[in-house]
Amino acid sequence: MLVIDNCRLTWPDFTADYSLSVPTGNLCAVIGPSGGGKTTLLHMIAGFERPERGTLTFDGRDLLPLEPAKRPVAIVFQDHNLFPHLSVAQNVGLGLRPSLRLSAEERALVGEMLDAVGLAGFDERRPGEMSGGQRQRVALARALVSGRPLILLDEPFSSLDPALRRDMILLVDALRRRRSVTILMTIHTPEDVADLADQMAFVADGRVVASGRPAEILDGALAPRIAAAVSDS
Amino acid sequence: MTLKPPHPGSLVAFAILALVAGGFIALATVDGGTPTLLSIGPYLWRVLAFSLIQAALSTVLSLALGIGLALALARRRFPGRDIVLAILGSTMVMPTIVAVFAVFAVYGRSGWLADALAVLGWTGGFSIFGYPGILIAHVFLNGPFVARITLDGLNQVPAEHWRLASALGFTPVQIFRHLDWPLLRGELPGVAGLIFLMCFKSFAIVLALGGGPGRSTLEVAIFEALKIDLDFGRVAWLALIQLAICLSMTALLHWAFTRPPVGHTIRSLAHRPDAKDRGLKILDAVVLVVSGLFIAPLAFSVLTGLRRLPAVIDADLLRAFVTSLAIAGAAALLACGLALALASAARRRRIVLRSPRSAAFYDLLPDALLAVPPFALTAGLFLLIRRFGDPSTAGLILLPLINGLAAVPFAYRYVAPRLLTTEERYGRMAASLGITGWSKLTIMDWPVLKRPLAAGFALAMALSFGDFGIVALFGGTDLVTLPYLLYERLGAYRLDEASSIGLVIVLVAILLAHASGRLSDARD
Repeated sequence: MLVIDNCRLTWPDFTADYSLSVPTGNLCAVIGPSGGGKTTLLHMIAGFERPERGTLTFDGRDLLPLEPAKRPVAIVFQDHNLFPHLSVAQNVGLGLRPSLRLSAEERALVGEMLDAVGLAGFDERRPGEMSGGQRQRVALARALVSGRPLILLDEPFSSLDPALRRDMILLVDALRRRRSVTILMTIHTPEDVADLADQMAFVADGRVVASGRPAEILDGALAPRIAAAVSDS
Repeated sequence: MTLKPPHPGSLVAFAILALVAGGFIALATVDGGTPTLLSIGPYLWRVLAFSLIQAALSTVLSLALGIGLALALARRRFPGRDIVLAILGSTMVMPTIVAVFAVFAVYGRSGWLADALAVLGWTGGFSIFGYPGILIAHVFLNGPFVARITLDGLNQVPAEHWRLASALGFTPVQIFRHLDWPLLRGELPGVAGLIFLMCFKSFAIVLALGGGPGRSTLEVAIFEALKIDLDFGRVAWLALIQLAICLSMTALLHWAFTRPPVGHTIRSLAHRPDAKDRGLKILDAVVLVVSGLFIAPLAFSVLTGLRRLPAVIDADLLRAFVTSLAIAGAAALLACGLALALASAARRRRIVLRSPRSAAFYDLLPDALLAVPPFALTAGLFLLIRRFGDPSTAGLILLPLINGLAAVPFAYRYVAPRLLTTEERYGRMAASLGITGWSKLTIMDWPVLKRPLAAGFALAMALSFGDFGIVALFGGTDLVTLPYLLYERLGAYRLDEASSIGLVIVLVAILLAHASGRLSDARD
């Protein structure tokens, strides 16, 4: 289980204080207004931001002393996930070995992962030759190939059209079930994941205001606030 | 059928080409004869070899200093970093003649280094003339330029890539390979080409620090052929060779280097994970200290002029100041006018007429002007003026004209992108409303153009104000600019007075360049 307990981060113009628990293997959708602290929450879990107090554990292991590369966490951003001078296979291979000196077995694993995200045969393509959706699939493949059990998706599909976005979310959900990974995904349109997510967290003003099953969150007392946040973003 | 009048930009392009061609024809046909290339053969090879070797060495050393400095500055945050960036920015607009003074002041026979060594008991003496002085001055001017442009590039690496590097556990070598190097590989050919071109054409530095006829660039050789030998035929040959080399280089640059001019450095939002590496900490400290020891004394040498400034301010200095300002103002006005006309023609061809190839001609023309040897063009135009008018006024006409032409590429880079954006946004609406010509310029273009135009004007003025080029031909009792006055004082070894004049030139140039930066960054 991912447990975030009173993790506080302070900037001159913003203070965040997070508490949230996500059971292992769950898909947790993080929603909220722009500037409310969703990305900061993910960056803190990934190790890009360090809280000044609080605890952060995953399956009982304290993550706070660990450098980003040592955490059991992989992350996919909204954009700029791929290095443009590397091929698709090399970009995925970075998830296994940053030196890119892959064994035959590891190269086969990269091929398998590309197959899993529907990009078999794209190994030698460059990111510049692919669509936005295909690039995000490559980033997803890299996150999965790393074998890290906690995957953070920071608005990964918000630049895609609604139909493609839904396809990508279905793919994420299928991969998550097949590989038993825990996923935290920030998202602008809660209805895209309402039927798939195990859990939904509403983040605003640097706090997790509410967390629970999607139906509880979307139909509960916060519904007007969520609607306002969605229309704002 | 009625004939449409030509676009003003087409007229300007034709006028520029006619001016250059007229100047060269006048030069080549003066006194009815041209020498054969063989008659200047051995001399030409010597000059050509020296021009190429010093430019190549200057480029390599500038790149080494600039890249090392940029990487160290990209990795480090320390108190005073903004001041370092400001100093790097100021050396970019430092006039070459002031750089010459700085080399004399620091490395000269009675410079700071000689004084320091004398204190330590070493009085062996060393000469800065020839390669040492030329390379020091070129690296001092161009190393910071490389550092700034590379740093700006490094800061454009997306924050997500730094976070990925951090999450994937990249080592410093992998960071260089996957983040720094792809960027440097894209930037460096263009930057290297530009520095090579500027050093290949170097005039004031080589004239003052060359130390003899064996140490000449083509530009200095053209100047000497004009000023000393009055050999117009040789000038024509040398100019043609320089033009051919520089035009090839310009065409290559145009292909390799399409970035806009350097803006202010943007602070990177993400931390570089390699900043924590102990080996790199030591390396960066060494690079920063060595670069500081090289750049800081040269950059600050003109400050010694502060002490003597009140004593140096006299009628001569004030007259030279006003003359420099007037010439720079006229040159900047001309540069902006020409750039606006050319950019407007390029825009029309690219968007309205959908002819990117003919638009590229207008884009290339300003850069091609950099390839034209200014002394040869000046001599040719002087001959034309002599044929049709009063040659005593030639200096006053040619100085702003040649300086203005030299500043067109810089003004063009400020104006052209804005004109293009405006057309893309509002062009169709203006066309549907029938807004064309002057109305289009005042209603649609001017509101977004006034700031970049003012920025281009200020930069063109800064470049012209400190220029020591054509004035070396015409300067004398009747026509004295501040850079000419500084050159005179240097020639008379009056270093105290030279430092005060250098200080005034640098302050004005920095002020104008700062205004240019502020104006180009300001929102409409």
